[in-house]
Order: sequence, then C-alpha cells, then structure tokens
Amino acid sequence: METFLLVARNLKARPVRSLLTLLGIVVATASMVLFLSFGEGLRKALSAEMTKFGPQIRVVAEGTGTFGVPNPELGPEVLKTLEAQADELGIARLFPAAVMMKGSGFDPATTFLFYGLPEGITPKDLAPAAKVVAGRLDPHPDGAVVGKQKAEQSRLTLGKTLRLSRKIALPIVGIVDAGSGFANSFIFVPMEVVQRALNTTNYSVVLIYVKEGYAADEVAEKIEALIPGVDAQSTTEAVKYAERAIRIGDVIRFGISLIALVVGGLLVANTVMMSVYERIREFGVMRAIGARRGFIFRLVLLEALLLALSGGALGVAAGIAGSQVVNVYTTHAVGLALSAVTPRLVLFSLLVAVSLGLVAGVIPARVASRISVIEALGRI
Amino acid sequence: MEASVLRAKNLTKRYRQGETWIEALKGFTYDFPPGVTAVVGPSGSGKTTLLNLLAGFDTPSEGEVHLAGHPLHALGEDERAGVRLAHAGFVFQSWNLLPTLTALENVAFPLLLKGVPRRERTERAQALLAEVGLERRAGHFPNQLSGGEQQRVAIARALALDPLVLFADEPTGNLDSAAGSRVLELLVRQAQGERRVVLVTHEPEIAARAHRILKIRDGRLVEVREQRPA
Repeated sequence: METFLLVARNLKARPVRSLLTLLGIVVATASMVLFLSFGEGLRKALSAEMTKFGPQIRVVAEGTGTFGVPNPELGPEVLKTLEAQADELGIARLFPAAVMMKGSGFDPATTFLFYGLPEGITPKDLAPAAKVVAGRLDPHPDGAVVGKQKAEQSRLTLGKTLRLSRKIALPIVGIVDAGSGFANSFIFVPMEVVQRALNTTNYSVVLIYVKEGYAADEVAEKIEALIPGVDAQSTTEAVKYAERAIRIGDVIRFGISLIALVVGGLLVANTVMMSVYERIREFGVMRAIGARRGFIFRLVLLEALLLALSGGALGVAAGIAGSQVVNVYTTHAVGLALSAVTPRLVLFSLLVAVSLGLVAGVIPARVASRISVIEALGRI
Repeated sequence: MEASVLRAKNLTKRYRQGETWIEALKGFTYDFPPGVTAVVGPSGSGKTTLLNLLAGFDTPSEGEVHLAGHPLHALGEDERAGVRLAHAGFVFQSWNLLPTLTALENVAFPLLLKGVPRRERTERAQALLAEVGLERRAGHFPNQLSGGEQQRVAIARALALDPLVLFADEPTGNLDSAAGSRVLELLVRQAQGERRVVLVTHEPEIAARAHRILKIRDGRLVEVREQRPA
C-alpha cells in the first residue's frame, strides 16, 4: 500500500508530465477501443439482421457481392427453372424482386433503394416482423411503401411522390417498420414499376424460403449446380463471409491502433525513464538505507503500470463514449448501431494497456534498480 | 572473544583513472570500538572511500569488512543492502530525505523496507521524531523543513531500526553553526551501549567531540588517537 502511495505521490509531484502521458495513453486506448468496436458492432448488427431477414437464400447473377445491390440480370427462365424444380430442391416458397438504386450510394439521405416486389408479396415476406407505421403495407398496385428509417432520413411522408424515372412516379402509400436496419432503408414498390423504369423483364434477385428439414447451404449448392451463371447466397454463408471480412477488418484496425499504442507506450517509457534519471539520487538513498533491487524495480514498474492502467481505463471510458456517438450517427444513417464495446473488448483493451505499461516500464525499472549507491550519491 | 561489530582488515581500494590505477585506500585495518570514532583527513585522503567500503556501498579491491558479523566484502549487492538495513544507519551531508514523503514517512521508510506493520511503524517513527524534537513537523515534506530540521529527520530515520553502527558523512557540512551543533549533539548522544558512530569530517571541532580520531592521509591510516570528548 505504501509502495503504491509512493508511486502515486511521485506521479503527483510532476503533474503536467504525468497528465500529458496519461492523455497520450487515453487517446491511444480510446482509438483502439473505437476502432475495434466497429468489428464488434458489425458482428452484433449482422447476426441481429440475419434473424430478422425472412428468406434463407437469395439467388443473384454471378459476380454480385454478398451484400451488394444486385443488377437485373436474372432472366425469366431462371425463375421458371427454380419453380419447376422447387420441390426437388427443397424450396418451400420463392418470389423474385427487381432492385433499383438511385442516388450517389454514398450519402444515405440522397440514396434511394427501390425494392420491387411482385403482386401478392409485401414487405412482410421479406422481413416477417414488419409492421405498418402509417398507411398500408402493400405497395400494389401503384404505390410506394417506405421503410421507417428511410422515411425519417429523407423526410418522406404519406402522399409525397417518389420519382423512379422521368416518366414514372409513385405516391407514398405506407410507412413500414421492417424491424431490420437493412429493410428499413428500402422503398418497396411494385416489381413491374422497377422493371419498367429499368426497361427490362429481368429480375435482380430470387428470394427463397427453404423447406423445413433442408439445410439452406445445401439447397444453395444444388441451385448453383442446376443453373449456371447464378450465385445462390444463403444467410449462413453470408454470415461466414461477413465474419471473415470483419476479422480481416479487425486485424487492419488493430494494426492502425497499434501505431497509437506504440506511441503511447513510448510516452510512458519516456516519462518513467526521465523520472528515473531525475530521481537517481533518491534511488541511491533508498539503496543506501537498505532497499533491495527488487523493491526499486517494483516501484518504477508500478509507476509505469499505474500510468498505463489509469490511462487505459480512462481510454476505455472515452472509447465507449466515442462508440455511442458513432452509433447515434450510424443508427440515423443506416439504421444500424455499427459500433459495440463488448466486455471482451474492454478486457482486451485493458490487457493491452497493462502489457504496454509492463513493456514500457521494464527498461526504466531495470536501470533504476541497478543504480550504484556511490554513483547515485555522487560520492566517488 | 565477542564478534566485532565493525571491523576492517587490510582494506584496499583501487580505481582506474584512464590508463592509470589510483590506490584510494591502502591496507586499512581497524576494529571499531563502541562510541564515536571520527575519521579525519584532508580532502582526497580516502575518508569517503573508507566509508563506502565500511557501509558496503562499494566492494574492496583487497581485504575484508565485517559488519555485525557479516563479511560485506564477500556479499552481493542485495545481501549487503540487507545487512545495511538490519544493522546500519546513515546520515549524509545533504540530508537526502525522500522528497515525496513527509518527515514521519521518511523516518518510517526503513521500517517499511523491513516489513514492520504499519501501526508499529508509525508509533516508532513518531517516537523518534519526538526524540529529535520534531514531533510537530511530522506531516511536513522535506521542502517545508529547514536544513537543520531535515538533518534531524535524517538522524531519526537512521535510528529507525536501532542500528549497531551509525555512519555520518560530514553531517553538519551544509548547516549553520547553531543547527550544526544541535545535530552533532544528537549524533554524539546516539553512541550508547554497543552502538558505534563513525563520523567522517574534516572539521577539527567536530572531531573533538569523538571518543577517538582516526587520521587518514594518502589512503593510509596514519594515526589512531583516543581522547576525552569535548
């Protein structure tokens, strides 16, 4: 306890330097927490999204990314083949959709994703938890049902008109809460309208519900074998794909934050080393009185650890605050909380901070513990 | 025969200075009796080198030092530190109090190193501060104390573990005469029972307060003079 007091008093004796070092660690840890919170957030959001999405397989043209917006490249024969083989493949239900994106794609407020659903299909078939907020659920025969998120973002209200092309415009007939971040950013319209706007009879995607007792992955494989040129993407495959991508992202983000961490570590090492050089006489006195090397070593190491741990804890707190700010933005922008500070991330960050303190403190601690009494006291 | 508390035999220390070797202490042999022993000699005569070896701050090039029966010359740094903690106290010229600790905590510091429980430490430190007349200054930090007060705290700290030997290196060197004589009085008073006080000084009036004077010149012990303390 007294050793701790000694360390704390020493840090307090040099308040500006200690505070600046602390700030360095806070920034380093906070940036690491924030960077890595995106991976955690994506994982959470993704698994939540997948449970809210009804169809287990989406069939798109080959080359469409797992989470990409599909082009209308599936001919009517694809749908026919699937319908004909549905029983054999293990398909319970299927329906096509035509998708059209308008806008930059970068700014969510000015990007519009029109999801064309065929007659008899409503947003509920895509997201079973979907609920009407205003108006009606079914966009047919000639209306647009806007996802809640999209409506808020682009200030769309019932009765407003949405223009798909120069000649095609639809009134908003419903606002729907699809219960999912993705689906809530869609604008559901009749499929035939999208096809007309795109001047095609093709579909962008065929969405499939798998029969009970069938594995979506296996059904997807069979579909790909049956129809050349298509990609049958199952939700489990999408989750695995996303997990791989997130993991790669984690490594990259950790790599970037490592730079900040190394700088933080060097700050601690510099502060503690300077403090050791300034206190050579003090350590000499301690050794003269009878302090063993281990005592001095622990004293200095504890100083580095205390700096790193308190900086780490404050950094985690700052990271959590930063993550919440990020979530306010992403929830508004895409309907998803993309940043999450999980207990394992907190633990990992504190562990990194402590390791940082240990590594940064070892050399100064070693130097301090090896100070010769006569040199320290200037007695030669 | 009773084991010596502080004994040096043929103690020699050589330093390398560039290409040449300098013999700072040559064949010092002496068994320190109880009481105050003043080590005197001109600057550069080898007094401080002798103190460094007797206290185990440094190791001799040749010869032996025994402190409380422990052969310091044959021990490693940490073992010597352990012997110092248990049997020796130090008073330096420049006080050398730990600046981030209060007077009380400074006095209690050796007890902390020894592992004495907190309450006992505080009680002992308070008693020692009272002994040097500083009980009212217990909560003050070194920079809030005068030079004389700091040196008295240093004496209290040196006595914390009731050492057999008290080493003092020019203890009044940085003090005015009034504060110096008070500190000297305190130091001399500590030479009770089996305790040895080794006082390194170059001031004859301070050496006059000792029971004996060892005169060092050019690294050699040239004279041992018993005297009645002034």
